[in-house]
Parts: sequence; C-alpha cells; structure tokens
Amino acid sequence: MATQFFSKRNLQFLLYEVFDAESLTKYPYYQDHARETFDMVLDSAEQIAEKMLKPLLTEMDRKEPQLVDGKIRIHEGMRNIIKKFGDDGWINAGFSYEEGGQQIPSTVLNSAAFIFQAANYSSSVFPFLTTGAANLLRSFGSKELQEIYIPNMYAGIWQGTMALTEPDAGSSLSDITTTAEPTDSDAECRPGVYKIKGQKIYISAGDHDMCENVIHLMLAKIKGGPAGAKGISLFVVPQKRIKETGGGSNGINTTNIENQTSNIEHRILEDNDVLTAGVYHKMGYKGAPIAHLMVGSNDNTLGYLVGEPHKGLTYMFQMMNEARIGVGMNAAAIGTAAYYASLEYAKERPQGRVISDKDISKPQTQIIRHADVKRMLLFQKAVVEGSLALLTQCGLYADLAHVTEGEEREYYHLLLDLLTPIAKSYPSEMCCLSTSAAVQILGGAGYTTDFPVEQFYREARIHPIHEGTTGIHGLDLLGRKIIIKNGKSLQLFFEELMKTIEQASEYESLKPFAEKLRKYLEKSAGITQHLLSLAAADLEVFLSDATLYLELFGIVTIAWQWLVQGIKAQEKLATAQGDDVNFYQGKLATMRYFYEYELVKIDGLARRLMSSDNVTVEMQSEWF
Amino acid sequence: MKILVCITNVPDTTAKISFTDGDTKFNKTGVTYICGPYDDYALSRAVELRDQLGGTVTVMNVGEADSEQVIRKCLAIGADDAIRVNCEPTDSYFVAEQIAVVAAQEKYDLILMGRESIDYNGGIVHGLVAQMLGIPSLSPVMKLEIDGNTAKMTREIEGGKEDIEASLPLVLGCQEPIAEWKIPNMRGIMTARTKPLRVLEPVGEGLTVTSKYELPAPKGACKMVSADEAEKLIDLLKNEAKVL
Repeated sequence: MATQFFSKRNLQFLLYEVFDAESLTKYPYYQDHARETFDMVLDSAEQIAEKMLKPLLTEMDRKEPQLVDGKIRIHEGMRNIIKKFGDDGWINAGFSYEEGGQQIPSTVLNSAAFIFQAANYSSSVFPFLTTGAANLLRSFGSKELQEIYIPNMYAGIWQGTMALTEPDAGSSLSDITTTAEPTDSDAECRPGVYKIKGQKIYISAGDHDMCENVIHLMLAKIKGGPAGAKGISLFVVPQKRIKETGGGSNGINTTNIENQTSNIEHRILEDNDVLTAGVYHKMGYKGAPIAHLMVGSNDNTLGYLVGEPHKGLTYMFQMMNEARIGVGMNAAAIGTAAYYASLEYAKERPQGRVISDKDISKPQTQIIRHADVKRMLLFQKAVVEGSLALLTQCGLYADLAHVTEGEEREYYHLLLDLLTPIAKSYPSEMCCLSTSAAVQILGGAGYTTDFPVEQFYREARIHPIHEGTTGIHGLDLLGRKIIIKNGKSLQLFFEELMKTIEQASEYESLKPFAEKLRKYLEKSAGITQHLLSLAAADLEVFLSDATLYLELFGIVTIAWQWLVQGIKAQEKLATAQGDDVNFYQGKLATMRYFYEYELVKIDGLARRLMSSDNVTVEMQSEWF
Repeated sequence: MKILVCITNVPDTTAKISFTDGDTKFNKTGVTYICGPYDDYALSRAVELRDQLGGTVTVMNVGEADSEQVIRKCLAIGADDAIRVNCEPTDSYFVAEQIAVVAAQEKYDLILMGRESIDYNGGIVHGLVAQMLGIPSLSPVMKLEIDGNTAKMTREIEGGKEDIEASLPLVLGCQEPIAEWKIPNMRGIMTARTKPLRVLEPVGEGLTVTSKYELPAPKGACKMVSADEAEKLIDLLKNEAKVL
C-alpha cells in the first residue's frame, strides 16, 4: 500500500502562501481563528484520515454493501467513523456558534475534506452528505423542522441525503413524477405535511445500518401545482418519522414523547414507508451504498414541506452548488492519492536503462528517470495541483461572499457562480485521465488489485456523472453562466486573469507564461463572442459543443491557477532553503508542463468551436 | 486529581536532520515539530483520568517560544492549562530541575510524561524529577488506574510485565497502550486558543554545551549473494566485512 496520499506542504502552500487564508481572520465572523487553529483542523483531519479512514480503503472496496432483509448493510468500521465525525463536531464545523458550529472557513474545511477524500473516498461521503442536507434545512426549513432534525444530524446519529434522481428523471429533473399530496384534505388537517409517493434511485447513503435514521431532502411535485421545474417542492422525508402522539403542529408532538433510541432526542420513531428496493453494485466508490428507494408504496409516507411550495429546485441548487465544489474536490483528492502511489512506485521500480546509457552490465534504473514516466507524473501533478488550487480559490470566494456586503459580496458570488461548473467538471474529467496515467506508470502491476491505483481509476469515474454530468455543466456554463447579468461574471473573470497576467509580467522568468495566457484568454474571448452570435439563429447549434467550450474554459482557468502558483513559487524561491527549493522548483516545472502540454490543447478546441460544420446536430439517429 | 503532564517538542520522525553553525546547532528550517509520541500517550491517559475522577490536567514544556504550537495542540486535546519554561532544553538534568521547581510549588498528585523523548531518547527525566521531589518514579508504565490514593499500574520489564501498586504522588514514564492517542475535536481546537498558558523564566543554567553534532555514516551498499554461493559469502564476511 502506498504510504503518502496527499501533500501537506502543498496544502500549506495554497492556503497560506498563495491564497493567504489567514487574512480571513480580519473579518469579525472569523476573528476567533488564526493560522494555529487552521493548522490544528488540518492536523486532526490528517490523524483521522491516517488512523481511521485509510486502513479501510481496500477493505471497503472488496466488501461492498449488501441488501439483507430490506436493510443495506455497510462496512462495520463506518460506525466509529460516522460517530467520530459527529462527536468531534466535523458535520457542522462550518456553521455559526449559535448553531453549535465553530465558524471554520470553507477554505480550510474543504482542505480537511480533501484529506479525508484522498485517504478513502467512500468513507468520507457519509458525514458530508449529512452536512449538505442539514445546511438546506437550516437555510430554508421552519424552526420546528430544524429543531427536530438538525441536532441528530449534526451528532451523526441521523444520516442526511439528497433525493433527486428517479428512474426516468436524472439530468432532467423537471420530469420527476414523485408526488406530494396535502394532508389538509384529510379529516385530520396537518398543514405542511404531505403524503409522498414515488421512486428515487442512486441515492447516496440512502439507507444503511450505521445510523439510527436517514433523513432525505427529497424533491416531489405537489398535486395540482405548475408543470415542469416550477412545480417542484422540497420535503423532509425521514426513513423513520417521529410517532404522532397528538397535539403537535405538523403532526409532531415535541413535548410528550418517551426516550426510545436516540441519545439526544426523546422521541419514538416509527416506520415512514420508505422502502429500500435495492442497492446498486458499482464500478468503484463501492464502500458507500447507492440505494433505490420506494416511497409511499403503502400510502403511508409523510413528507414535511421545506420552505414554500414550488421552490424546491431553487433551494436544492444551494446544496447542489456546494456539492459540486465537493465533487471537484473528491476527484482532485482521488487523483492526488493515485499520483503519490504512482510516484512512490516510479521512485522504487528499476526497469530498463536510460536512453543515453544502455550498458547492460550496469543495474537497471528506476523508472522515474525515463522521460515518458516523468511526463505522466507531470501530467498528474499538473492536473491535481491545478485543480486543488482552483478549488481552494473557490472556497475563498465562498468565505468572502459570506463575510462581505453589497457590491463586494456580489463580486465574489458572481465569480464563484461562474467557476462552479469548471471546479466540478475539470477535476472530474481530468482525474479520470490522471488516474489512468497512474495505472500506466505501474504497468501490469497497476492493472492488478495488488496495488491501489486500479481502485483510484475506478473511483474517479463517477465524478463526471454525479452532481450534474459534464454535459449538463457545459450547458450551464455556455447557456446560462456567461450571459447572466449581461456577462458581468465573465467580465470579472477576465479581469481577474488580467490582474494575474500583470503581476506575472513583473518577473522576467514568468513573462512568457503571462503572454501565453494573455493570448489564449483573447482567443477564448473571441470564441465566446462567436458562439454567442450563433444563439439567436439556432439554439441547438449554439449549445451543441457546450461540453467542448467547458473543456476550453477549464484549461484557461487552470492555466490561470498555475500562473498564480508560479508567481508565488518564483517569489519564494529567492529565499528558499532545503526541501523548499525542490518544492518551488517543482511548482515552476509543473507550470511549464501545463503551458507546454495542456494549454496548447486550446488550439484544437478553438478550431472545432469556430467551425461551421454542425455534424453532431445534423447526424441522424438512423445513420448510426 | 491534580495532574501535570510534561511534554517534549520534538522533530517529526520524517524530518531530515541537518546542522548549522559549524555542526553545533540543529537546523530547524523546514522541520515540523510534534509532541513526543510517548508524551501523547501520557496526556491522553491524563485527560481520561481527569474526566473520570475530576480535577485538572496541566501540560508543561521546557522550551522556547516556538514550542507553543505543540502546547496549544495539547490544550486542544483536553489539558486545562499550560506552563512553558522559557529556555532551551539543553540537558535532562536542567529540564528535570525546571519541572521539579514547578511541581514542588503546585503539589501535583500525578506527574506523567513519556518514557523518553524521541530526539535524544535519554529516558531519565522522570527519574530525575522524582529524585528531586523525593517521591517514587516508575517507567515504562503501560497501564494506569487510580483507586483512591493508590495507582495500580502495569509496566514493562525485561522479558515480561509487572503489575505494581504505589501511593500518590508519583512520577511516571508512560508508553503504549496506556491510552489511545486523542485527536483534537473542533470544540477543543477552538477553546485551545483561550486556555491559560503561563510562561515562567528558568531556574539555574544548563550544564552542557554541544560542541559538535555528527550524522551516522551512510549505510553501505547491499551485496546480494546467491544461496548456492556460500563460500563467496564466507569470503566476503572474512575479507571485506572482517566480521569472521
């Protein structure tokens, strides 16, 4: 088993040297923190990852969840892990003191999550799914719903999920058919309480035996409401509901309930008719169960409306946007673990001799000396460290949007909103390729289960699919994000890049990179104008290569992040000592690699995006 | 129960070791410091005993200001307050002297520390402190329970284990599996910054000065000898390694 799975030095470089996370402490909301606090959060994350998560990496892959007697059984080791995250306050660490949280900035918490994900992706998802669901409730749920559900979720006693996808509605959520019928037509009128009926599929942690209850934040359509996306509402649909003993609003009596199973809430739980019809057996990410749920099969599922009717999708997008940054982080983390596993192997594995010295009497050389192996290592390093830089940048924008007001707040919001599809899709797509490079470096050994890289390769593949496919994010970027507010987000993004280009131009050694980025930024702007000019004439043509546009945008964005890192590395190199010299030299060489091997891919993409040949639109189904 | 836990601020086990000033000083550049792993065990058990029996846990370090980061981590793990004696820990006797002065004033029921540090691995500070205070010292303690005024312990001895009892106060050198290492939780991390940390000036002066550090010679290359070439192996052992 590979020993290193992430680089603490790189996290420190990004957090403190590049993005100055410590500067957040000047805002009142974060004033109780200091670098010392941030370091301790990361150290604790590392210890949990090393001692609890990483030891189960392979075992959770081999012993995947099973459906037994209607209940999904997961790895027993998850009991302690979920409990640890709940007991130690990780699930609500980012929330306010008033809510029992510690107001830890996203910039830091995302880095901690990155450590967990790199250690064992499957095990890391359980607590953070609960964080996302609880965050929705605290944002939009009634005080009563918050009081009932959130404490047990924060404590890790109840699992949170988001239940969106249905057998015939995945990317197209406007087509969901799960229904919600008001109970106020019943003899016993219960405002806000609905009967839910339908099916949900691919629900991560949708059922398992390591928590007392599962709380689904579920999308459904209220009968008689508007058609399509405008008729979607959000409900809390618990797997087990609190038994009604009469007298409470929403059918929930919070005062006269006996202690039953939960440690911190004294309520009796009863079945809510949410049946687990199956557990999916997946290609990777096997330790976390993905459930197929039957809701209201016996006409006895109650759902509790969150916020206002028909605003469910808007609410859910808050969670989805956060989750999308999380998915990008997952991918970067898995890619990072694969990179270090292949790096370790390349340093130890002797095979062949360098091209310039083929003397057979000499021992074989370690494969890290072969240029092609170095290329594959550089590719991985460029992708994963470039992605991590972008994701850290997004965390910082989220924190700054949280603590600023007015125009400044809008500025950070617009940038974060624009960059979200890229922060999700670039790492997701590219880490499929980078983990493949890791397998390639190990050769035949990499294709066996004796080494972890094949698992990383399989686990990377889900990320271009879940939380919106790459295709959906392409449409989101080209069809929506770059044109909202008359293209203000895009303008701000270009200004950010220009600032970096100006900064880099102050260093003689970085001028060529600054010039290249300027050239490709101008090219990208031209392509954007060209595509927008197609929109009025033919929307289908306009959006037909949205995925390629997303790819192009992703490369420019990561090139920007590499220049940001290059500036800091160049600045620090002047006074660096010891291992830091190698660290900064490594950063500068990887930036060079990105500009030489990756940025130039824009030329090919540009040719296609500027072409008037609409083959994908014109191709007929029958011609396949 | 009033417990003092003495901790060392030592380079991470993965740190690359080098020296400066003509090989007379350890080069701290780029080195990550940690709480001594055996001290971590002692602290974890102290926190458990405090939670079980009530009282306080004070963490103490003899070291310069840069050790405060590690001290704060100990506070995050659960110690109630901390003392740092502001000086370079030049030798075991000097360190023990500082601990003994504080302990004599504060009257602790238990003084716990790791069985040894992991930088110089002297393993004598607990004995020296006990001698200076005139109380018993035991090491390495693998198990510790407190029953009234009696400590019930298991310690490792040559070739086995020994169950032993002694009255408080005591100085103990600890090792695994006396407790599981504790990982600071979020609340602990946030409260660590506001817990009291007293800085005291040292008494006396260090007795030793390092005149020169030297790294061990690098390991020689490994020669592989085929299993059917025993004579060649004997020859190498005799004439090259000169161990036969």
